[in-house]
Amino acid sequence: MDNSDDETYLLLLLSDSNLPTGSFVASSGLESYITHAFGSKDSYERTVSFMHDSLASYARSALPFVSDAHQLVSQYRNTPASDRSVLSDLHSLDHLYETMTLNHVTRRASKSQGVALLTLYSKGFSRPPSFSSPSADTDRDKVDAKISDLVTQFKLCIRRETTHGHLPVCWGILTAALGLSLERSQYLHIFLQARSLLSASIRLNEVGPYGAQQILLHVSRPLISVQVEKCKDLRTGIISGSSSVDETINGPANTWPLGEILAVRHDLLHSRIFNS
Amino acid sequence: MPPSQLHAGGGRIVLSQHNGDPVFAQLSSTYPLKLLSPRVHQKPVAVVYALTYGGGLVSGDQVHLSAEIDRGVILVFLTQGSTKVFKTRGEQRLASVQRLFPESSTAQTYTTPTIQKMDFRVSSNSVIVLLPDPVTCFRAASYSQIQTFHLTKEASAVVLDWMTSGRRSLGEEWVFSRYSSCSEIIVEGTTIAKDVILLEADEPGVDPFPRRTLAERMHPYSCYATVLLCGTAVRAAIEHIKNDYEKITVMKSSAPANFLWSFSLIRPDGDGAIVRVAGKDTETVKEWLKAALSCLEEVIGIDVYRRAFV
Repeated sequence: MDNSDDETYLLLLLSDSNLPTGSFVASSGLESYITHAFGSKDSYERTVSFMHDSLASYARSALPFVSDAHQLVSQYRNTPASDRSVLSDLHSLDHLYETMTLNHVTRRASKSQGVALLTLYSKGFSRPPSFSSPSADTDRDKVDAKISDLVTQFKLCIRRETTHGHLPVCWGILTAALGLSLERSQYLHIFLQARSLLSASIRLNEVGPYGAQQILLHVSRPLISVQVEKCKDLRTGIISGSSSVDETINGPANTWPLGEILAVRHDLLHSRIFNS
Repeated sequence: MPPSQLHAGGGRIVLSQHNGDPVFAQLSSTYPLKLLSPRVHQKPVAVVYALTYGGGLVSGDQVHLSAEIDRGVILVFLTQGSTKVFKTRGEQRLASVQRLFPESSTAQTYTTPTIQKMDFRVSSNSVIVLLPDPVTCFRAASYSQIQTFHLTKEASAVVLDWMTSGRRSLGEEWVFSRYSSCSEIIVEGTTIAKDVILLEADEPGVDPFPRRTLAERMHPYSCYATVLLCGTAVRAAIEHIKNDYEKITVMKSSAPANFLWSFSLIRPDGDGAIVRVAGKDTETVKEWLKAALSCLEEVIGIDVYRRAFV
């Protein structure tokens, strides 16, 4: 199988809506947005406008972390020595995401989805012990073992509460560990965020299952492309250091203050079906 | 640092303590920034007003203020009237003056933005209270604000950062070109909060959908505020706001409220919090902030507190 077949297979695997990533309990503020009566009176338009603003802000704040985590783990994967500094760099990245996510509801949802991804990797994506490598490639086995060990270490740190395990960081780790390219990883992350918003919209009775597919194909698609294109080169500054006085030019930022207020207020909703 | 060594728009504050009195070891600034300290009779509190000539900043203006606050004193930092940011011009102003910040590689994209950078170092048992008026960016203005607070473990900070949608009397509603604000609180070398907000006008249109404007994203509010609170001196204020917040229950409503706010604790020990506020008009937000932060009267004294939200 050549490289692009490998990648396609990984994409199919990772975009499976049955993946136990815990995203089905997150509405990312949509439930609160609706209860607070924001957006259009028309529920279809309401879902679209929410997705527009929410996705733009999420891409801008999360993609730099996906990119840096992916880069750290890819580098680690491709260097022969086991450089332990990667673990402390991932900690710094995770800590920065925590300090920039000044919202207890989003923090909570992000942590539970992040750790679920790492569990998925160790429980779901590791090779069964009885299987030998299909390529009988011992070098590749060594790399897999090294990466698997790194993920286990990071997971242990989350359990010990020495790090947080935020979703964008864990997504970067997972996709780099599986060997998915950075471009695909960034795109898929925003796609899954969009799809998860639409699942929430269905559960909230805002759009039907057909309407959601229609939005995903015709509305989300260009939206995701634009946002990924806009944010793909942004970095956190943790790895390379920031070169600019004004970090907001190249770094993560929140672009929708109202969405932030509504997301925090989720916990105040009198009745709610989602966890965020 | 003598004033002659300050760059244009530079400012320097060193606040020390002598026998319980706050004393300015340094208080200097250069055009277009002006720092003034009125006499106040509230030990150990000192007040500084930051003013700009003409009451606003134009494109290319770069204000860089640094402040050191010695042990056991309180600095209350205020402005007089909102900070108005005028529209970006292509050419450079103050061409004869050495530029404070090197041009970044992306500078072409944002022609000479207005930058306001402030660094505060706060020693133990000291407090920095930043209660400025809101920033108002006019049509096509481009503004960046970077505020960094270095605290020791026993230091405290209150940081208010707010903005309005523009000159509403002229029909301006979120029509500036770019606004960014970064507020970072670092305690003993570790960042505990980094709030970065970026608002850009040109959210691209996605064919076949019309472009989503900034005004649509900010609708229906025209004033947004963020307050960061950190440290033991503001524990009572945090507790007070938290109690009010926990009383709220949101029922399904039929139209967005005129005013909305949120509260989150940001440190495991409870000595840090963030409050975000949105309102349809500035006055409502101001009145709310004044009431919500009233516990600060205990910290800075009622007379000084009254100078803040006027």
